[in-house]
Amino acid sequence: MTTPAMMYVHDWRAWQPGRRDTSQPRLSVAEKPAGGHVPAMLRRRLTGIGRALCDMLAELDADADCPLLYASRHGDGERTLEMLNTLAEEAPLSPARFGLSVHNAIPGVYSIGRGNRRTQQAIAASGDEFAALLVEAQGYLAQGEPTVILAFADQAIPARFAAHFTPPVETAAVALRVSSTPAHDAWALTPRPLTSDDTAEDSPQPSDLIDWLCGARDELHCHRPRQAWSLVRAE
Amino acid sequence: MTSELEQELKHLIIDTLELEDVTPEDIDPDEPLFVEGLGLDSIDALELGLALQKRYGIKLESDSDETRHHFRNLRTLAALVEERRTA
Repeated sequence: MTTPAMMYVHDWRAWQPGRRDTSQPRLSVAEKPAGGHVPAMLRRRLTGIGRALCDMLAELDADADCPLLYASRHGDGERTLEMLNTLAEEAPLSPARFGLSVHNAIPGVYSIGRGNRRTQQAIAASGDEFAALLVEAQGYLAQGEPTVILAFADQAIPARFAAHFTPPVETAAVALRVSSTPAHDAWALTPRPLTSDDTAEDSPQPSDLIDWLCGARDELHCHRPRQAWSLVRAE
Repeated sequence: MTSELEQELKHLIIDTLELEDVTPEDIDPDEPLFVEGLGLDSIDALELGLALQKRYGIKLESDSDETRHHFRNLRTLAALVEERRTA
């Protein structure tokens, strides 16, 4: 018996500056994304990846009425490191930079700029972000949300720490509109049990997902972390 | 007529607050800087306070009526710098 699909991808957008397959209309390779759907006074506080996400979200959720689940493993590593260096020098932090150093900064600016008052979540999961996004989406759909937007973004690791990450983290962002309802052109996401043939692969990062969406790879496996909980009664 | 100091402050505001679509000519010295006029917000006020401290050595109370007065427009800001600058 096949497991029923968990959810369907109805549409997607992606951004990866410098990527070659520019014929894909859903992919932007712009070095400086416009961020045109967010008022200029808010947009000035977003870096390229934030502007790219705002562009993609405006296209996927034109009415700004869907819950947004956002995941990033590292967030803005360069700015975080810059702030840590400033603190180490005992110099004052930039209030604007500090205010936007939270993990949900981009969804926050997007929600103000677009007037989206629906639920938002910002997730970091030690490399298992995509699996975590799918689990969270499953929850919202099971609760009766017809459509949920998933956003997955990461940026290159600051040079100082890059040696600790193989493969290197590519700067890229991708957003999916998912629903529990099938459609003739929607792609299915289906859970299945792990088998002994499953080898431990690196969990997908945003650029891997874009590879799959653009057809550069046939399959994308996403193992959920093998976790167990033990509840132990205190003596 | 815009003084040299006012011109300098315009550049400080644009650079510090990353006002990418604003030119010095867009800032009217008599228009409000915050909420109306230029449309700056409370984070900008903190950022501008920090910039004044770094550039001119001026320390302000972050939430006082006096600071509100100094931050009203470019002219009041220039008057503050003229009077209190140590750098």
